[in-house]
Amino acid sequence: MEIVVGISDMRITNRPNQILVTHSLGSCLGLMVFDPSSGVGGLIHCLLPVAREAREGKTLNPCMYVNTGVPHMIKSMFAKGAKRERLVIKAAGCGRMMNVSNSFDTGAANLAALQKLLDHNHLRLSGSDVGGSIPRTVRFHIDSGRVVISSCGKSWEI
Amino acid sequence: MKRQEIIAKALAVPQMPMPVQKIMSIINDPDATMMQLARFIEYEPGLTVNLLRMANSAFFGGHGMVTTVKDAIMRLGMQRVYQMVLASGVAPFAKYEIKGYGLPPGQLLEHSAALAVASEHLAGELGLTPPPHTFTSGLLVNIGKVVLGAFLAVDAEPIMELAYSQGIPFEKAERAVLGIDHGELGALLLEHWKLPDPIVYVVRHRLAPDAAPVRDLALDLVHAGDVIAKMTGVGLGYDGMHYAPSETVFARLGLTAEHMERVMESSIEHFSEIRDILLGTE
Repeated sequence: MEIVVGISDMRITNRPNQILVTHSLGSCLGLMVFDPSSGVGGLIHCLLPVAREAREGKTLNPCMYVNTGVPHMIKSMFAKGAKRERLVIKAAGCGRMMNVSNSFDTGAANLAALQKLLDHNHLRLSGSDVGGSIPRTVRFHIDSGRVVISSCGKSWEI
Repeated sequence: MKRQEIIAKALAVPQMPMPVQKIMSIINDPDATMMQLARFIEYEPGLTVNLLRMANSAFFGGHGMVTTVKDAIMRLGMQRVYQMVLASGVAPFAKYEIKGYGLPPGQLLEHSAALAVASEHLAGELGLTPPPHTFTSGLLVNIGKVVLGAFLAVDAEPIMELAYSQGIPFEKAERAVLGIDHGELGALLLEHWKLPDPIVYVVRHRLAPDAAPVRDLALDLVHAGDVIAKMTGVGLGYDGMHYAPSETVFARLGLTAEHMERVMESSIEHFSEIRDILLGTE
């Protein structure tokens, strides 16, 4: 069964029959985290790298930002039985417009925010498919931890 | 199929729906009264529903329910009503599946709604007053893709291959393969439908605003709004983000990365509302 994860959203599951899917990865980060031992998997689709101050008393959605969403998801996975030392982490998305200057490259900023978090926590990526100007859809198979990217009528695994 | 054949076939595409044409002629008539406009809209159940949904939406309207066409026009103002009528006329075209460009039904409408919302939010973020046709132009800039991908069933694969293998923007590859890009084709179609020149101008030049003969704020806003919408990923087809943004436009608008991020945030909150209003149109 496919469970769709929207923009600025996340899903955690330990049901092996579920496939977490996210469409529309442009410059957004799609992060898939899996603990093969407990079978707990999580997918988050972050729009922006860093949460700036809340506006007009609005509560920020933590999943919208890499720096708040990723720790939020991993903590929630721990609560479901995942263990830090077993995590398999894969990233997708972080694309960019052609020839865009660094300051407007949100995809690169999203990836940098993720890298900073991982470094700080001594974690590393096991696989990634990031950058470029292609759109991406991700299917994260919870039965095996397989991550399949599809784009422009083709698909591949990371 | 090449340029002339594509243009000839595109212009044979169905006309704008008749009620939309009638209502537009009232809106464009300086002597027409609001009561006349309200009466015409009331004859069209689809438009009435859309107008009420729009007036009661967070993006366009305000607090308190509006239940009559007259009250909705009062709340929204003539300009917004004009935008809604036009958008309602064109939305059905954007709901098609655009197979050649890898867009399932409704996806292009999602992208167009995100783009239109981003263009307007961007103006607000920059403290600018968007020209009245900004939102409508944003909704219409992809109409050429509907014509190419849905009506003419153009296969985007050779275009895509050329664009990605040569590292050239998608619209340049379209011109190389088809002799025309979806921006120009959309502009020709809208011209044929007798849409106002300022809208046609934005649609014609939004992919390459640096080459536009005259500087135009709506064009700048829609160009940057398009970039922002593409980065959010909403409704992307095979062409993805394979377009080159104009740094000149960014500089002219005084756009910063922080502005861009804020507009991405706020657009995501509102675009689905606009999409839902337009999807109510049949």
